[in-house]
Amino acid sequence: MKILLAEDEVQLARVLKMAMATSGYEVDTVDNGKKVVDLASQNAYDVMILDIMMPVKSGLEALKELRAHGDQTYVIMLTAMAEEDDKVNGLDAGADDYLTKPFSLKELLARLRSLERRTKDYQKDEMDFNDLHLNSGEQVLESHNSISLSREETQMLQYLILNAGKELSADDLRQHVWGDGDEADNGDVWINICYLRHKLESIQSQTHIDGEKGGPYTLAG
Amino acid sequence: MSIYGPYEDTLNAILIDVKQRIEELNNRQVVANQPKLYEHLIGRVKTPTSMVEKCHRKNYPVTTEAALRQCRDAIGLRIVCNFVSDISRCLKLVRQADWCTVVKEKDYITNAKPNGYRSYHLILDVVEPYQDVDGHLPGHFFVEIQLRTIAMDSWASLEHEIKYKHHVKDPERISKELKRCADQLASCDVQMQTIRQLVQEGESE
Repeated sequence: MKILLAEDEVQLARVLKMAMATSGYEVDTVDNGKKVVDLASQNAYDVMILDIMMPVKSGLEALKELRAHGDQTYVIMLTAMAEEDDKVNGLDAGADDYLTKPFSLKELLARLRSLERRTKDYQKDEMDFNDLHLNSGEQVLESHNSISLSREETQMLQYLILNAGKELSADDLRQHVWGDGDEADNGDVWINICYLRHKLESIQSQTHIDGEKGGPYTLAG
Repeated sequence: MSIYGPYEDTLNAILIDVKQRIEELNNRQVVANQPKLYEHLIGRVKTPTSMVEKCHRKNYPVTTEAALRQCRDAIGLRIVCNFVSDISRCLKLVRQADWCTVVKEKDYITNAKPNGYRSYHLILDVVEPYQDVDGHLPGHFFVEIQLRTIAMDSWASLEHEIKYKHHVKDPERISKELKRCADQLASCDVQMQTIRQLVQEGESE
């Protein structure tokens, strides 16, 4: 993972950088919010760790500016213990997590590892269920045969596999595949269930999706 | 004389006859207010040159006997359908037809070839009023029928075109892309089938 650390206390910045580098991360350090915005526009980062109180431009201002430009990088804010408002403002401005100073190095590293698991292991490109092999990156479904899937079919099947055996409502599936604000309705859920059923059949899979029009739907092996 | 010996004209006559019989199957569907069976129907007698080449490739003797008995695709027809379900309708009617016996079926649609090829192959044994290579009259002749959708047919054309190019740059990448394309076309075939079925269910409600 590539990390951008913004911390104006020289000593603390040095210690943090060294600890993270030792854990195998690539770290760039800056000492004010303006440099955060500048570097973020040039380099791709997986995580940014921003102190709030910094000269020239605060971490909070930098964060707001990044988010306004559409930067979705995972951001951890470093806040002072007493300042509850810092945490609330930081999270509301688009931060993903925060650490209150003074914090232990151990905790910071554990949070980074946790994040890494979430992004790498939990969103696997490839999944197996029963006689199925789903490659989400390529949007291909394989059993005795293979067939392409649309984005919607891929995400729906992924969610069905993760929750195999459970009854999932049409609303639940719609939320996960299309999210809020999309114009998709439960008719879209139904037609994609139909597509998936015919595709399962065409690749000779024994896996099936149970449920009538309107849901709930259950993936079964 | 070609590898087909005295049978070359016979093969052409049988091709025309079998083609007419399949057209008849389709006409009967249309008359009964059913959708047409297929989009188009083509046929050919394998050229003597290709047949000789095939016998060499398969290590068969280059004889009329091998061309008409060991090889069973001297006469070939291809039925190209709009939808996957039309292939099933064709299969059902051909299996029921009294003018032929299905001697072999190969389902490369449910079991696509590793390169992505999809098609349904049939070998028919037809009895025709001509003497065959074993001296029987009426005689027995083999006819190969390939059934596929328009999408499968386009893919096969592309694959065929590439197969006979001598210098393909980066053949692994091309093969991988062809396979991906086959999976996408299969996806479209299934999607069209599903939409068609949903509309039909809606009508009958």
